[in-house]
Order: sequence, then structure tokens, then C-alpha cells
Amino acid sequence: MSREKLERLGLKLPLFPTTSVGSFPKPDYLAKARAEFSKGHIAEQELRELERRATAFWIETQEKLGLDVLVDGEMYRGDMVAYFAERLPGFTQGGLVRSYGNRYYHKPVISGEVKWSGPVTVDWWKYAQGLTKKPVKGMLTGAYTIMDWSFNEFYADRRAAALALAGVIRQEVEALIAAGCKIIQIDEPALSVRPEELPIAMEAMEFTTKGLGAYFVTHACYGAFEDIYPAMLDLAVDNFDLEMSNSDLDLLELFRRHPFTKDISFGVVDVHAHATESAEAVRKRVEQALTIIPKERVWVDPDCGLKTRTVEEAIEKLRVCVTAARAFRH
Amino acid sequence: MSAGAGIYLSSTGSYPRIGDSPDLQILRRTIAALDHGDRTTADLLDAENEVTRRAIEEQVRAGLDLITDGQIRWYDPISHLAGKLENIQIKGLIRFFDTNTYFRQPVFAGPPLRKGPLLAGDYNFARNALGHVPTPAGKAGKLAIKPVLTGPYTLAKFSLSEYSGNGAAGAFAALEPRAQAYAEILAIEMDALAKAGAELIQVDEPAVIKYPGDWAVFENSLAPLIQARNKVIAEGRRLELALYVYFHDCAPLYEKLVALPVDIVGLDFTYNAKLAEMIASAGSPLPLALGLVDGRNTRLEEIAAVARQIERVLPKIKGGRAYLGTSCGLEYLPRDRALAKLELLAKIRAALKG
Repeated sequence: MSREKLERLGLKLPLFPTTSVGSFPKPDYLAKARAEFSKGHIAEQELRELERRATAFWIETQEKLGLDVLVDGEMYRGDMVAYFAERLPGFTQGGLVRSYGNRYYHKPVISGEVKWSGPVTVDWWKYAQGLTKKPVKGMLTGAYTIMDWSFNEFYADRRAAALALAGVIRQEVEALIAAGCKIIQIDEPALSVRPEELPIAMEAMEFTTKGLGAYFVTHACYGAFEDIYPAMLDLAVDNFDLEMSNSDLDLLELFRRHPFTKDISFGVVDVHAHATESAEAVRKRVEQALTIIPKERVWVDPDCGLKTRTVEEAIEKLRVCVTAARAFRH
Repeated sequence: MSAGAGIYLSSTGSYPRIGDSPDLQILRRTIAALDHGDRTTADLLDAENEVTRRAIEEQVRAGLDLITDGQIRWYDPISHLAGKLENIQIKGLIRFFDTNTYFRQPVFAGPPLRKGPLLAGDYNFARNALGHVPTPAGKAGKLAIKPVLTGPYTLAKFSLSEYSGNGAAGAFAALEPRAQAYAEILAIEMDALAKAGAELIQVDEPAVIKYPGDWAVFENSLAPLIQARNKVIAEGRRLELALYVYFHDCAPLYEKLVALPVDIVGLDFTYNAKLAEMIASAGSPLPLALGLVDGRNTRLEEIAAVARQIERVLPKIKGGRAYLGTSCGLEYLPRDRALAKLELLAKIRAALKG
């Protein structure tokens, strides 16, 4: 039971712990500063100061809202894979490729042996944790997703690349744990894109987390989970953070057919809708979760990162998560 | 173009619509300006035309025989065609296979209707643009524009239906009627393309190898397209239908694919390292399009290794005709790498023995 693991780690969380998936919207001043920095108009130090200010804002906001497990909001990140690729030896920046519509990004290239040359996220985690007594999650991207979302010019095949990256991410996990981090989220949104490669993703996660003393969460979203469930339950984490609401809770049908055996961070608000769901709608979603999953295993959060919402929308979506969770504690 | 024995170099469809230099970002900038009300749709058309011309020019310069318009105007492989039909609404974003790119999902609000040409106008533009590109030595009269259609089954697989009126409630709730509705429209489009001069049309059906349980639906939806091709031929014109599959291992369906009444089958070799060996053993009653160069990864293949694979496969292909290309369209690569992959095709052909 993962709740016992949390207690062993010294974490006493209420029933229905509330958290969020990772990213929050960047305040206007930070969005502008990032654009100015990319044009060389402001110094790195100035940008970092604004990132710290925005991080402090989100920590304070989460505390005021009453969330139980906080995140730093990723004020210093753009893309979840490029952020790591830009900081790990072995990667080079690729040319522009299209994501969809008129959106393009520089897709990283694995052009040499990937290495961990020092902590990537630890300073940010320490800064955020230093602002609150509540636990702050360490936030990493998983080896399989980094591999899948990069070009591979160095390793013989996809498995070799994923396992090499798993070794790197494991070192980052160890550094977070050494700094005092007890809950670490390792995002794997690519988990379901090639069902036949689930064994590779699982091998990589096993390599990343095995024997390490933290409570591990993985986030996955907008995938074909029907193709990898229930096999995915063997992924070496304690908690699956899943987008549930955007797909009208249709994953619950899968869970009815085969029991969901791990903790779940149950997405109760759709991050792609501007409007915030009513407290009643969110309450019903939690109720439906409880028809399948024991209450001791249910965490409550939004479907996915909130960075595409406005600051105000994000706050309201978090607020309704907290309201719903509290109602179930009584 | 000639359809005799030999190896022809062929584009598989899309081409990057952006590059790192400012002059290669004209389309992105124009769309952004249009969104802000600073440009018009006429400006957008100009930008699309310019980028299409450059895509065609780069394919010709790289030595290709069968050239596409790069699908520069396509928002995505699904909504570009479906969105031009009456009674189809285009909704939210969904991940396109395992590509980490997204398409907008079509939703049936009624029986879909073809209001006018889907691609024939684009095809005419591309043919004209090709005519203005300097023809490399020895290629006069041997280059052709190949229109690319997403097939009816794949369109249907990624569509939904909210249609529930006129006593035909749920008429398109099932996959089969959606696929048939698309097929009838695409059959008309094939005829229009043939009338415009197309002699080879590529039909992409990637979904069928990922969802083999839908084979019967797929095969039935292909029938109107086959009939359209046969009608064109009966009228004394030339038309070949090339069926392309990619983004999954095609080996389990290989025998069924090459038994279809199409003229060419295009295969993605990147999901199964033993596919070439399998084909060398099984042979093919149809010309094949060999997607031996990875359209999804920047690493350049070893020329000799690919050439040896072709040498093993080609003698087992009936008629000795094959098309060498990338495993899928090239818009998943940065532009410089996409061009390098096309140039690689020519180097591989040059390295063939015999």
C-alpha cells in the first residue's frame, strides 16, 4: 500500500491528497521576459530573478488554496523534453519541426552518449521547497518520452537510447532524493504511443527508480490506454497521474474490467477548457472514481499541466479540486 | 512518366514547410500575421504557393522522379480533406499515430457532400510549378507530380459522428458507413485528378496496419476507388493507384496488401528490420514503393546497406519496378535533414549494382 510508503517517508497526507500535474501559466511579466531574453535584450540573471518571483507566487497561491502536495510550476521551462535535452551532454538542438497548426519547435537530437553532468532540477526544487513546509514534488521527464520525442543519431536502436537516458534520469532522481525530495513525478506522456514498446518504457522506468527511497508518480495523458492496460500497472511507480475528465472518465470502464492496483492522481478538471467545472460536476467525478478505486488510493488534481490556461483560470481550476477533495474527507 | 522496369525515386507525401533561415519562415510568419489581422487570405495563398514551389524545386534538385506538392497547404492529413466537405465539422486535437504531432478530428453532422475539388486545384498549381523548375539533364518528360489522398478508411477511423437526424439516427456512428461515404467522395476526386492529368495517385491508409481487425471495412472502402481507376482506364486515360501504409509494422498484412487490386503498394520498412528479407523471400506480384529511408529520424542511412536490401528485393518484384522513397512524408524532419534524405535516395540508386 503506497499510503504506508508515504508514511514511512514521513509524509502524513490527508485522504484525497490534492496536487497538480506540474506546469502553471507564466505571468505576463515572465512571458515577456522570456521573449526578451531569447532576443538577447535582457540578461540571464534578470530572467532568473523573474522566474524565482513567479515560482514564489505559485507556491504562495497553492498554499492559500490549500493544496497538499505542491509543484514549482515550471516557470523556468518551455518544453518538457527540450528543457532536459538542453542541459544534458549528448544532445544537440535540432532544426524546427511542426507540432500542429502554426506551432513549431526545435526537436532535440541525441548525437552522442547522453550523460548526467550535474543536477538539472535540484536547485529549483530546493528553492521551491524552501518557500513552504508542504511537500514539493520533484518534476522530471521520463527516459522513454525523452527518447521518443528526440531524434536518435547515436544509439543503435530505441531501446538502447531509452535505457541510456534512464541511467541519466536515475542520477537526477538520486540528486533530488539527496536534497530531501520525497515525492518525485516522472512524466511519460509517450507511454502509450507504441503499445508494442511498453516493455521498453517499463524497463527504462524500472532502471530509473529501482531501490530508490521516494514515492514515485508518473503522469500520462491523451493516449490510447486501452492498448496498454492493465500491463501498464507494472510500471515501477506508486501513483499514476492520469487525464480522466477530458475523455469523460472512459478509463473507468477499463478499470472495471481489471482492477486499478496503484494509487491514482485522478484528473477531475479538463485543462483544455476555459470554463471551470462546477464543484458539483467535480464531486460527481470523484464519486465515480470511488465506485472503482478505494478512497485510500485516490489523489485529486487537474487532468494535465495548466500552463495553457490563464493565471485566473488555473487558480479557479485548482480551487475546485481542493473544494471537492475536502468535501469527501468529512 | 515511364512505368517500365527499374528503380524510380519518389516522394512519399509531405515536406517541411519551414526552415531555420528567415526566408524559409514565410508561411509561419504569414499565418501568424493573418491571425493578428495584419495579412489577408490572399497573402496566405501567396505564401503557400511560394513554399510549395520551393518544395517542388528541392525535390527536383535532389533527383526525384515522382514529386508531390509537399502537402504544404494541409493543416493535417485528416482534416485537410474532411474539412472541405459539407456536413463535416472539424473539432479537437488528437495525436496522429506515434508522431507527437496532432490532427483535428472530423465529426459528421450529416451526410458528407463534396462541394468542389479537394485537391485538383492544388495539383494543377503543382504541375505548373514543376514546369517552371529547370529540368535536370536526362529528365525531360520523365518527371511527374503525384497527388496524395488520405484514404477513406483512415479518414473514417479518425472521424466521429454526431449525426442523429432525419430518421437516419446514428447513420454514421459505425465505421463502415463513414468509410463508404468518404470513399464515394474520394472516387470522384480521383476522377477529377485524372482529368487534370494525374497518371498516378497515392492513397494513404496508415491506419489499416495498426488496426488489422478493420480489414474488411478497409477493403470495402477501397472498392469505389478501384472502380474510379478502372473507369478512367476504360475511357482511354492512364491511371495507377498506389496504396501506402506506414507508422506500424506492415509484415503481418503483407500478403493481403499485395493481393489487393491496386497498382503499387508502398511500405514503411522502419518498424520491422526483417521486412526486406521477408519480401525477398515471399516476392511481390505488384510494384512496391520501398520506404527504406527513415522519414522520422535524422540519422542518414548507410548507402551501401540500403542498396544491398534493394538488390535482394528487386528481382522478386514482378516486373522489376520499384519506387525508392522515405518511410513516410518528410514533415517530421527539419528541412535540411529532409533534403539530405532526398539526396540520399539518389545516392542509393547510384550505388545499385546491375
